[in-house]
Amino acid sequence: MGLEDVVTAVPLIDLADREKGFLQLRPGHVTELLGIPGTGLTRLGLRLLAAPSQTAPVVALDTRGWISPEAAWETGVVPESLVIVRCAEPRIWPKVAAALLEGVRALYAEVPAEAREQDLRRLAALARARKVAVAMRPMGRGLPSGVAHLRLRALGVTWEGADQGHGRLGRRRLMLEASGKGASGMTRRFEVEDEGSDFVRVVSDVVVGEARRTVG
Amino acid sequence: MDDPVLIVGDRVTAATREVLEAGVSLGMARREAEALAPFATVLVRDPGEESRRFEPVVGLIEDLIPRVEVVAPGLIFVPVAGAVRFYGGEEALAKRLAEELNGLVGRDRGGQALIGVADGPFAARWAAAGSEGGRPLVVTDTIDFLSRLDLTALREGLEADELIDTFRWLGVSTLGDLARLPRDALATRFGNHGLLAHRLATGEDRFVDPREIPPDLAVDASFEEPLESLDAVAFASHALAERLLRALRVSGVAPHRVSIFAEDAAGGSRERIWRSADPFTEKALSDRVWWQLRAWVESGGIPGGISRLRIAPADLSDEGRQLGLLQDETSRIDAERALARAQALLGPDGVLQGRAQGGRMPQERVAWSRWGEPLSDRERDDSAPWPGATPSPSPALVPPSPESLEVEWDGGMPSRVRLGTRWEPVLTWSGPWRLSGRWWAGEEDADRYQLVTSVGAFLCVVTGGRAFLAGVYD
Repeated sequence: MGLEDVVTAVPLIDLADREKGFLQLRPGHVTELLGIPGTGLTRLGLRLLAAPSQTAPVVALDTRGWISPEAAWETGVVPESLVIVRCAEPRIWPKVAAALLEGVRALYAEVPAEAREQDLRRLAALARARKVAVAMRPMGRGLPSGVAHLRLRALGVTWEGADQGHGRLGRRRLMLEASGKGASGMTRRFEVEDEGSDFVRVVSDVVVGEARRTVG
Repeated sequence: MDDPVLIVGDRVTAATREVLEAGVSLGMARREAEALAPFATVLVRDPGEESRRFEPVVGLIEDLIPRVEVVAPGLIFVPVAGAVRFYGGEEALAKRLAEELNGLVGRDRGGQALIGVADGPFAARWAAAGSEGGRPLVVTDTIDFLSRLDLTALREGLEADELIDTFRWLGVSTLGDLARLPRDALATRFGNHGLLAHRLATGEDRFVDPREIPPDLAVDASFEEPLESLDAVAFASHALAERLLRALRVSGVAPHRVSIFAEDAAGGSRERIWRSADPFTEKALSDRVWWQLRAWVESGGIPGGISRLRIAPADLSDEGRQLGLLQDETSRIDAERALARAQALLGPDGVLQGRAQGGRMPQERVAWSRWGEPLSDRERDDSAPWPGATPSPSPALVPPSPESLEVEWDGGMPSRVRLGTRWEPVLTWSGPWRLSGRWWAGEEDADRYQLVTSVGAFLCVVTGGRAFLAGVYD
């Protein structure tokens, strides 16, 4: 029995559904995506814009000039709704972020390592006041406590498909840890399976345990 | 005016012949036009002033035919069914209009009125564009007339350049070609825009069912002291426009046409209908109310000042450009303001939109445009097959140009990759995939690898014995 079969079993769906809620941006709240580059958090952050992009323009604030809209389109972001704002200058980054929070409904923002704590707190307050759904990806250390409603920390990533020169990258499994108010003050671990389309499978940690036991 | 003149907003909206001959075209970016015609006097467009100057034209038409619809200063639609009977036929009516208007615009402005008569505003607008020498063009067979128009005629009615490009790519070059396609198929494939394009192409512009307008949706204000100063008029028009749209938003509707009614101190009244391709926003509506009232006040059409003002939605139908089923107009406008502010902080190249184009490498597959400007042309056809293209999933991070990457090889297989100061072992990889360069342009062949390490996966290109980072699967 494969993992896919197990997660579709009725008693287990509710567990995974709870974690799926972590992959939806909420108006007025900041979701922090914490982890080193390469773990898949950029793609995850862009994916969070997919739902809001159905009804309104969404913005990715890019501090490195590297974000590719093609990856966002693959995750279901409406191409005409996605605007990429490139801001390599940390000094004006807070002003640009604030200007965007004044008008857009959803924002994925890379946060430069030089961003000051008071600026981040002001931005979080502005997001609350303007009811903007925000995902922040700190490039340095994590956001100050109290800024993010939900923190998603990447614990590790594994790839399937490539094998010593054969095949190609296919499915990615990203292990995440959710914490903060958005996770009801508890720490929850879950896995996101991404095959490069606009669909992801979310498997709660409990389910993974069940599945492995069943398979074993 | 003999001097060469360029009228601009963000883009060129009008120019004299000499300026156009220098290579300037309507819709061109202002800076580009200024560079091409440095000899021209540049004037910034003032819609309020245009409206005021256009008022005598509207007034003249209104004297002949009641209930005109002003689309913008310079363009009016007039329903003529009743007037045709009165004046004895379309030809006679159009001739009378042309005589009156040519007398006015020729005398006052050295211009010429363009008049077209057809079934529906879209066809009439293009009939007017096709009239020559001040003689009105009366279209007797609207379907036939439309069928001969080039597809670009849809641009004004539809504002969907990409759809028009797609039609052209499919071999559809005239509205007649488009009208022959099955409507259901167009609606299924292209949604609202496809449906509206087909309607316009088949001359069904008029055949929409206006939604019934509840009478209580109109807003009005009475003034004990009639408004005579323009400042007071501006304030009142803004407040009233805001009230109307707020009330309509609750009902979930947005007007494309509004009726502006003003009563003067002596009990006389004026009424005018304004029309917009997009549903009116607060700013758009208050601008038009203000332009209209200013034009009336300055032309002496409201003696003694405005004692009562009323704005009513004249049509809540689906005429004009439709929003998508789920699109939120208010969000779009708010976002546009925010993006304009970000653009002011970062410069025009800081706010970008991409669209898919063909190519084998991730860097090639996005055509970038500055936000707010027309989308740039695709350099490569994205519908072509592109054999050998890097497969999905695409890397989420793509350097603008490939960056040097240190890779250690062991017997032709990648063993370690340097990330910052650390060497990371390559756990597994796929490739090499050959990428044949354009040898005639001096490009070398390259090999592509997907490298997987414990901290993530990377797209790597090896050419000329050196490795480059082409993407990060972040």
